[in-house]
Amino acid sequence: MSVWALLSVVVCGGAATVIRYLVARAWPVRPGRLPGGVLLVNVVGSALGGVVLGLAERAAISADLQLVLLTGVCGGLTTFSTWSVETIELVNRGRWRSAVVNAGLTLALGVGVATLGYLLAR
Amino acid sequence: MRLILAAFVGGCLGTSLRFAADLAVPHSNDQFAAGTLVVNVLGALVLGWLVGGLWTRPSVPAWLKVALGPGLLGSFTTFSAVMVSVVAQGSTGLWALATGYLIASVVLGFGAAALGLWFGGRLPRPRERS
Repeated sequence: MSVWALLSVVVCGGAATVIRYLVARAWPVRPGRLPGGVLLVNVVGSALGGVVLGLAERAAISADLQLVLLTGVCGGLTTFSTWSVETIELVNRGRWRSAVVNAGLTLALGVGVATLGYLLAR
Repeated sequence: MRLILAAFVGGCLGTSLRFAADLAVPHSNDQFAAGTLVVNVLGALVLGWLVGGLWTRPSVPAWLKVALGPGLLGSFTTFSAVMVSVVAQGSTGLWALATGYLIASVVLGFGAAALGLWFGGRLPRPRERS
């Protein structure tokens, strides 16, 4: 792994974090409602992750680029902690249905688009 | 602009820490990614604790919330890596591993977030009590 790849992972992670922050801010969470911004970035990041996995399988991209895209871009764009905490906050407010929808929809769409991206790219 | 910079710096730090955990616990795409699991559970626990506790105090500046919340902890944890692991495991026929990894991530992650929020809510608040 080159120094440039290492630096790119970190900077891309920071830049992707800014994009996630701006998307979440543009789509503010109303108490008890579905946090749409985090759902969107997690699904988009999962789709990109699937595509990169497919490309890596047929060696269409270098190991360094795979690292930058998966660990940097996808890792920074998506978040597990915010998704978990926002879902539990819905539970704590008694919004069980929204909580189940937020958890289920994120998982279903995440697995779906990641699989689709992988199958299309490999 | 200051908030965007806070998100960027937090994001660089969080990504570096997650990257370091990846390097410390190496795994191929279709193996059980223990490093990612630990990172996600730890991140959910700490974020829950912050949101339930510190965030509720008016004295915490907005830039610090952004740097630590969406920035550091948001980028430390990752949803896409879990999806990539599950797809990679499924594509090699390791369905039990894929299902188990997904369930372990969700159950432990949500449990950690709930525990963090609960602990955060129990933090003493000297200012309000005095």
